[in-house]
Amino acid sequence: MDFSQFLNLLISALLLAGVYAAMAVGMTVIYGVMKIVNLAHAGFLMLGAYFAFELYERFHIDPLLGAVLALPVFFLFGMGVHWLLVRWLPKSDTPTLASLLLMFGFWLVLQNFGYMIWGNDDRSITTPRTLSALNIGQITVPEVNLIVFAAALVCLIVLQIVFNRSWFGRSMRALIQNPYAAQIVGVDDGRTSRLTFGLGTAFAGFAGALLGMIYTFSPDFGRQFLLRSFVIIVLGGLDSVSGVALGAVVLALVETFGPQIQFHGKYILPDSLQPAISFALLVVVLLIMPKGLASMFVRKRRLT
Amino acid sequence: MKLPSGVGGWVKVLLPWLLLACLLLMPVTGTSANVIKLIFITAVWTTTSLAWNLLGGMAGQVSFGFAVFYGIGAYTTGLLMHAGYSPYLGFLCGGILAAVASFIIGIPTFRLRGPYFVIATIGVTEAVRVVMNNLDITGGAGGYRIDEKQYNPTEHYFSAIAAVSLAFLVSSLIASSKFGLALRAIKQDEDAAADLGVKPYYAKLWVHAIAAVLTGIAGGIYARRAAFFYPGDVFAFQTGISILLMPVIGGIGTVWGAVMGGVIFGIVEEELVAKFPNIHLLLYGSLLIAIILFEPDGLLGLLQRLARLLRSKRSEDPGSNNPDQVLWGRGGSQGR
Repeated sequence: MDFSQFLNLLISALLLAGVYAAMAVGMTVIYGVMKIVNLAHAGFLMLGAYFAFELYERFHIDPLLGAVLALPVFFLFGMGVHWLLVRWLPKSDTPTLASLLLMFGFWLVLQNFGYMIWGNDDRSITTPRTLSALNIGQITVPEVNLIVFAAALVCLIVLQIVFNRSWFGRSMRALIQNPYAAQIVGVDDGRTSRLTFGLGTAFAGFAGALLGMIYTFSPDFGRQFLLRSFVIIVLGGLDSVSGVALGAVVLALVETFGPQIQFHGKYILPDSLQPAISFALLVVVLLIMPKGLASMFVRKRRLT
Repeated sequence: MKLPSGVGGWVKVLLPWLLLACLLLMPVTGTSANVIKLIFITAVWTTTSLAWNLLGGMAGQVSFGFAVFYGIGAYTTGLLMHAGYSPYLGFLCGGILAAVASFIIGIPTFRLRGPYFVIATIGVTEAVRVVMNNLDITGGAGGYRIDEKQYNPTEHYFSAIAAVSLAFLVSSLIASSKFGLALRAIKQDEDAAADLGVKPYYAKLWVHAIAAVLTGIAGGIYARRAAFFYPGDVFAFQTGISILLMPVIGGIGTVWGAVMGGVIFGIVEEELVAKFPNIHLLLYGSLLIAIILFEPDGLLGLLQRLARLLRSKRSEDPGSNNPDQVLWGRGGSQGR
């Protein structure tokens, strides 16, 4: 592998990391505040992709704008789901299997609607710029990936500001750190949970639309990304937003460079086995670092 | 063995034998081939449902990864039959290999608890599916075909009935044994169970292995009848989901609940899916949501509740004494 090839791979890995972070962050805030392992995240990702697809096919709205439009729509949708289903779950400060299976059931329902409306075919969003690429010296970057990365980055920065500066962000952090104490000092648990679920869903829809610009999708689209989201948030320590960025970078690097590893001149990981990398990584990380990568750097202080 | 007391006690003891007798008489009395096929499929699914229930229901360790054992059973049977051995040897070896796999999976993952274990099983089953899809020995995505000279539906039927009877027997024995008690203790509170002298890690490993054997046998029986299968089918995430859904819908943690879930699932898969191919995910999804929100004990719990209502109109409702409510997070942590 020469240097320009290495640089190309590195850049594509970093661009991928941006989308991965946007994808996993929705799951992380929901887990952090409500301790719900949101399996329906996969369904929201899928709906987000179809949302941008439909807007583009019917009204010729640019998928990037479609992704931004997905934010408010999915925010309301998520609040509706919370009002209808999630708020009835028994409260707990450790994740319960009831919540996991409930969200799983909801994912199945979403998937079924996906199959009913759009059928089993693979779809893709093809715009005039899908195939164009930027060339800077020896480095080639697909334009779509660059745009998607920029959009994801902007959204993550906005989220980080909301998280750190706003009243809502402060109540979220309070609930993540200590739900009991947060309620004593007057944080409205129900309202914050509802808003958080909306926020998580909004990010899922947004990330789904972005992913739909890069990959083809079908109603089963979310599953592979659901597992990647798991890897990322487990790497990131389950409830920290900055951990998510770290996890996303690690996963993207491993996925990009894993298949390049050579042993005695032979690739040990053929491309077809690439999906297995992330799942294997998931199990390994769960076992050796249950608190995530961030715990290696920060021993005592809790990251939020 | 203690003699059963009252009518209910006798029903509980005699019902399985009566059911078994009916099932064994089915082919003799000239039942149509379609019904035989339906019962065959249902019996295979019910076997896996009972197996999953041992780990997920009794010990409270929800696993999405049972497709691994199902697929191993299917491929072991297929490969051995291809090499000219008896299919029954295939079932046996499939079960044994599935148990070996269960140890390989369980030794690391049983160090994790609750949802972390669940997430790990999702990772394992997806990784195994991807690897199997790319192995030459499985025929890859193209699939694998068993060429059996004579095709005998009745033999298939009896093998499935034998498997489901074995699963039922094993489940009942474990449910009424000290081992079963230990499993329930682990489900309610692993640390407290450990304090009382249960070894949670080893108990989980063993029940996982038993469940894997049963699932592997079921996979082998299915594969022999299907005669054609591929990794995207037997190792599919969907297969693992189906195996998990049955006991949860029927009534998690109880032997009869698992049976009921398996029977309903088998009938729905065979009868409804052919007619409405788009509806089954919706059906399972909404059933799952409804069960978790309204009746955590599943359909069996619903029936028991109805029976109690009918029996004692006004007398005090003793409430559900099913310890499985701990699983659903009703146990502790009121203080949130």
